[in-house]
Order: sequence, then structure tokens, then C-alpha cells
Amino acid sequence: MKIPRIRYGRPLTYADYLYNFFATITGLTIFNIEFVKQMFKTPLEIGQIKKHMDELGVKTFGIVSITGLIIGLVLTMQSQPIMQRFGATDFLPAMVSISVVRELGPVITALIFAGRVSSGIGAELGSMRVTEQIDAMEVSAINPFKYLVVTRVIATTMILPILTIYVIMIALVGTYMAIILMESMSLKYFVDSVVTAIEFGDFIPGVGKTFVFGYLVGMVGCYKGFTAEGGTEGVGRASTTAVVLSSLLILIFDMVLVKVSLWLWPTIS
Amino acid sequence: MADNKLVEIKNLSKRFETLSVLDDISIDVLRGENLVVFGRSGQGKSVLLKCIIGLMHPDAGKIYIKGNDISLLSMKELNGLRKDIGFLFQGSALYDSMTVRENLEFPLQKHFPDKPQKEIDEKVLNTLELVSLEDAIDKMPSELSGGMKKRIGLARSIITDPELMLYDEPTTGLDPITTKEISELIINLQKKLNMTSIVVTHDLICAEIIADRAIFLRDAKIAYEGNITELTNSADPFLRNFFSHELVKE
Repeated sequence: MKIPRIRYGRPLTYADYLYNFFATITGLTIFNIEFVKQMFKTPLEIGQIKKHMDELGVKTFGIVSITGLIIGLVLTMQSQPIMQRFGATDFLPAMVSISVVRELGPVITALIFAGRVSSGIGAELGSMRVTEQIDAMEVSAINPFKYLVVTRVIATTMILPILTIYVIMIALVGTYMAIILMESMSLKYFVDSVVTAIEFGDFIPGVGKTFVFGYLVGMVGCYKGFTAEGGTEGVGRASTTAVVLSSLLILIFDMVLVKVSLWLWPTIS
Repeated sequence: MADNKLVEIKNLSKRFETLSVLDDISIDVLRGENLVVFGRSGQGKSVLLKCIIGLMHPDAGKIYIKGNDISLLSMKELNGLRKDIGFLFQGSALYDSMTVRENLEFPLQKHFPDKPQKEIDEKVLNTLELVSLEDAIDKMPSELSGGMKKRIGLARSIITDPELMLYDEPTTGLDPITTKEISELIINLQKKLNMTSIVVTHDLICAEIIADRAIFLRDAKIAYEGNITELTNSADPFLRNFFSHELVKE
């Protein structure tokens, strides 16, 4: 696997930036092809996947819980005066839940996940690269790509949808809390409104796209860390660029996947 | 290739963009021999080791290990060969998320997945005894001193009983007493385990203890080849200057 090197260290020209742009696209493509080639090779490293799901996913529950609660609270508090103006506050649960399920829950969870996990993977693998730990694995006849990259990418792909469903639930709790702070509404009415409002065509595309976001977060973090060079500065660069690139790709892919989901489930448009 | 040659390097060249670091280098390493490769920093010593183990690919030339041209091997075949080679990195390259025990267990578990845990535990303990660090078994790498890291790195490299050991600056950054201890440990292990070694260094104390034969790399070429005494007593002004600085450091 020969990955093009990114230019850094001296004042870069426009030509260097252009070269780095195409080198990153080429590098990520090679990384994706290698991932597909290595994914089904034995050993499957199930233990490592479980370990990463715990480290990268379960330990993110705290921050996404707070995020989910705040999404629900703020969205409801912002929407309530406008809905009240039109005498439509009864529609608040339906409106907020559709926003959270279709878009805000998946995308904000993915961005928070990218900030925490992609940078963490970039820094960890980058540190392993510059201290020759990845080389040590390779000379010991252990496949570092399979052991370090494939396991992490599978873990992030599996854990982000679970986190997203959890965030959606917490956001709905936040929504109900905001509503009962401002006016009276029974829990039964709230739940009935939410269940009636959310359809299959809202939930599946919303949560389904987080598999792609999880894959992107893992893949970009691993790519940046695995190809890091230039000592501790290189580790910092890997960590930072992993967050920037994975966040950007999440937003770009979100746009594409929304278009695809509208094509597949036209009833939601 | 004669049977007693474990490593044969023929006309090896390697350059990075415009900088040539190895130019038409040919070296034979015999079984059981300890070859020391000297040279100033940035003269391609580590690159030579990385080409031998297949971490870097030479621009020209061939490397034969146990008669196999490594450039013609598939990744699976190369990994099979790598199981017979140990590599001690300059910074030890211990896996910092694992304890000393896990660092040593890791190659065993990967290469011998059917080996009972009891046998792995015994092997780990025996190898740690060889480097006199049994007490460090449950420590993390961050809790170890530089000398201890080198010893654990050495233990991890020899745990699969390699035929060939490659040492990249095994004593860099260590005080003279620890340097002597590590060098003596290397030579004792080499005798006990009947290994062949290629040691890259610019440390004269280490070289004097270990070397059966030495080569000196300069300007991407082999500037000298012979025994260490001849090398240090050479009339060549460059070598005299190099070793006088090394003696001052001692």
C-alpha cells in the first residue's frame, strides 16, 4: 500500500495545496480499497472491535447525553413562541421530533463523535506511527492495518447508529421537559404525538446515514493517524486535520444522503 | 549463495528525492556473526536495516535472507521470514497502551494462536529473566526508564527465538554504564540463543563489546570494512576525527 505523502513544513504554495488536496483524495481511496480487502481476512479480531466499541463509543455517552438534552430543550424553546403565535403549540412534539429524527440528531451526534473520536484515533495512531510502534508491528509479521485500522473503522461504524438512537431519545426527553416548563401537556399526549408524527421514512434514513458517518469518522481518523509523520507536530496535525476532514465529509455526505433518501422514500418530502 | 551466509546484500542503492543515502552497497553477514555498522547520523544506517526487514524498498540492488530474495517474496512469505528476524528500534517502540506482559505476549499470541496461555506465560517470564526485568512485568512502558525500555524492547524482539537480530542504535541516549550493560546483554543473548546480529550504532563502547566485524558508512558508500581495532586505529583523518570525538564522549 503506497500512500502519497502530504506536503508540509515549509510555506506552501497554491500548487502544494492543490497537490495535498488530490493526495488526500488518493490516499483515502487507497485506504478504503485496503479496508475492503482486509475486512474479511482472518483473524477477525472480534475482541479488538469490542474493545474499541467500548473505548470509542460507550465513553462518548456522557457528552452526547448532554448534547441530546440541549438539542431538545433549545429547539423547543426557540420554536414555542412562533408556534404559539399561530396557535399551533399542540404540534410542537411532532415538529421537534421530526427535526431531531431526520436531521439534527444524526448530524449533531456525528459531529460530536467526529470531534471526540476522529481526533482521538488520529492522535493515537499518529503517536504510534512517529514512535515506530506501527513499524514494530509490521516487522513482527503482524498486519497493522488489520489490527489497528479495520477494527477501529468497524467499531465506529457500529457504535454511531446506537449513539444516535440514544441521542434522539434524550432529545425527546429534553423536548418534553421544555414543553412542560412553558405550558401544560400530558406525557401521553406528547408520546402519542411523537409516535404518530415519526414514520418509517423518517427514522430509517435518519439513523441509516449514521452508519456512513461512523465509517467516515473511523476511516478519516485512521488515515490521518496511520500516515502521520514529523514527530509530535505531526501527531497534532493528524489529530486536527482528522476532525476538520471528517466533519466536512459528514456534512457533504449528509447532503448527498438526504437527496438519496428523498429519492428512495419520496413520501417524506 | 554459500550456506553460511545468512544475509547477502548486493549493490544496494537507496535515495530520497535528490539525496543518495546508500549507493551500491554490498555486504555479507555470516551465521553467528555480529556485524556493526558505523557512520555519522543521516548516513543511511537505519535505512539499511529497514531495507533488510522490508520496511523500505531499495531503488536498486538485491537483499537475500536465508537465500530468499526479499523483493520477490509475497507479503505472506515476507511475514513468514520476518518471524525469524528480531528488530530492536532506536526508541524501543514498546506498545504504550499495553503492559510489559502484554507487549511480550502480543507476538506470541499472533504467531502461535493455538499455544496454551500457560506456555505463553512461562515464555514471557523466562524471557524477562534473560533481561533481568521480571519485576517489571505488570508495568506500563511510561513507568520504565530508558535502559529498562531497551531491555524490554530486546526481550520482545527475542521472544520468538529469531535467527537474525537487527539493532537500530541500541544504546542511544543511555549513560555509559547502562550502555555497557545493554551491550553485554546483547552479546550474552547472542551467545545463549545462537543468533546473528547486525548492529547499527555510532557508539564505540557498544561496538567494542559486540563487534566481530565492522563497516563504516560514509557518503552513501562503505568507507571501511574490517575489525574494530583496525577501524579505531585507522590513519584516515576522517575516521580518526570521528573516533576521537567518540573517545571524548566516553
